[in-house]
Amino acid sequence: MCAETATRLATNEDRLVTLGIEATISHPTQSPSYAVDADGRPMIRPGMAGVCYNTRVGDRVFGWAADHLEPGVSAGHPQPRRYQALQFLACVGNRVRVTSGPAKGAEGVVTGKHAYVLIDFPQAVLDQLAPGDRLLVRAHGQGLRVLDFPSIVTRSCSPALLHAMPLRRTPAGALAVPVVAELPAYVMGAGIGMSSEWANCDVMLTHPDTIWRLGLGNLRMGDVVAMRDQDHRFGRGYRGGMCAIGIVAHGIGVIPGHGTGVITIMSGPAESFAPEPVAAANIRDYLALPA
Amino acid sequence: MPGQRAEINREELVMTAVTGEITSPAMDGNPYEVSANGEPIVPVGVGGIRYNVRVGMPAFGWVGDQVEPGVSIAHPLEEANDALNIFACVGNRVQVRGGDAAGAWGTVTGKHEEFRAYKHVLVHLDSETLERLLPGDTLLVRAHGCGLRLPALPGITCHSLGPELWDAWDPQLRDGRLVVRVAAIVPPELMGSGSGRLSAAACIDLQTADEEMLQRHGLSALRLGDLVAVRDWDAAYFTGYREGALTVGVIAHGDSRLAGHGPGITILLSCSDGSIEPAMDAAANIALLLGLA
Repeated sequence: MCAETATRLATNEDRLVTLGIEATISHPTQSPSYAVDADGRPMIRPGMAGVCYNTRVGDRVFGWAADHLEPGVSAGHPQPRRYQALQFLACVGNRVRVTSGPAKGAEGVVTGKHAYVLIDFPQAVLDQLAPGDRLLVRAHGQGLRVLDFPSIVTRSCSPALLHAMPLRRTPAGALAVPVVAELPAYVMGAGIGMSSEWANCDVMLTHPDTIWRLGLGNLRMGDVVAMRDQDHRFGRGYRGGMCAIGIVAHGIGVIPGHGTGVITIMSGPAESFAPEPVAAANIRDYLALPA
Repeated sequence: MPGQRAEINREELVMTAVTGEITSPAMDGNPYEVSANGEPIVPVGVGGIRYNVRVGMPAFGWVGDQVEPGVSIAHPLEEANDALNIFACVGNRVQVRGGDAAGAWGTVTGKHEEFRAYKHVLVHLDSETLERLLPGDTLLVRAHGCGLRLPALPGITCHSLGPELWDAWDPQLRDGRLVVRVAAIVPPELMGSGSGRLSAAACIDLQTADEEMLQRHGLSALRLGDLVAVRDWDAAYFTGYREGALTVGVIAHGDSRLAGHGPGITILLSCSDGSIEPAMDAAANIALLLGLA
């Protein structure tokens, strides 16, 4: 071991408010028409909204007959302004409690965001859940600062996630982050131009050539990735010399310009990060999500 | 070296009427948007009538955000607005149907879609007509061009491309490829907001937060109405990255300081098989080609 410090990162978390925010498990909707995949084929695919009983964070991204595949539970709120509060304030790693239905009292964890907030529950709980069931999200994390890294901002990153990740400070003063992939800017698609805290940004892994060439065929939901030349501090966009760190929030997306969603958790100058390529860096392990 | 005139399926194209009303700017109670640098800005320039911004003018340098040249129209019914925004083509003729300027003619210059916000068709009218227009006036678009294709080059998809613009632009066939004049070529990593949207109605922003990239690719002096190509970008149906593809469009609205935004490109042509060859021409601007002043 070298002299690099693996001590707990100092933060302002004792100043952050924990809020209870209501959410309701969503229901899928379907346009009465076809979308078109990257090869020009009309298609109708499930994957967005509601409860997905057989895909969980940690499962593979590709190889599903789905589009914008959301693992586990997808929850929103029927009232638009309350929905926005949920969407902006929920953070990855936040705890969630079921407050109605047969699974009342069971607990889950926020694992990502898309049009809705994505939540993992143990399989036995997931099997009891249905659209319309009510949840309470303990929102905690927006406003989090990592005190020794003032040039890095966090977005939708709970203190629980920050401390669960094996982060450390390099001798050069950068934040070392284990990542399974570093994504080039040209694959960043739908989600560019939106607020950093809102939903996620699709990585345009829609064409098999692109997935193969970038060596991303084994990507998993929940994986931690770095995004090169991306400035996600105040909205998401391209800027050379900046970097963003994210988590794969949803799986396969097949419509051109869309793809696999990555939620931003940090951004700052490239030199403030030291992404470390590793074979496995997944929030299922970090957050010890139960089977 | 001149090529051969490229033929389109002109006789197959239906000319249909779609209408829109001149919009009015709209805001939330809090006027501030946050720039990519974290500064609050008050966006001005979307919706309604711009008396002093028209195609041919610079896309950069306005104290505004995504400024729309000329007049922006939309239909108050969402489904009818979708039809307006898909069927209207750049170069199509537009007639004012109500109000003090009834009978005046204009030209479609682009489209501007903002996800979950608005879909506008942008229309050029001469300055004297602009003075007589009001938000709410109805404009009739003689929509012509939906379904336009090149029988000789089936790999090319056309969107929002009116025969009026096609004739003025006059792309040439040369060595089995379509040579189109463009003012700039954009790399795919600068394509921003608008990715994944329907190619026929989308407007994809060219991201401008990185000034060095703009300089390197000759994008700093772009004008409203400039024809530009995008490398490795597909827009056959939905629009996104595809290695080896090429998309050509027109700069429809001005720059933005918001992250991921910038001058918007309304899509005109796309191919994934190398059928299009962009030819640099600083004068490739629809204001010059269509004589809009």
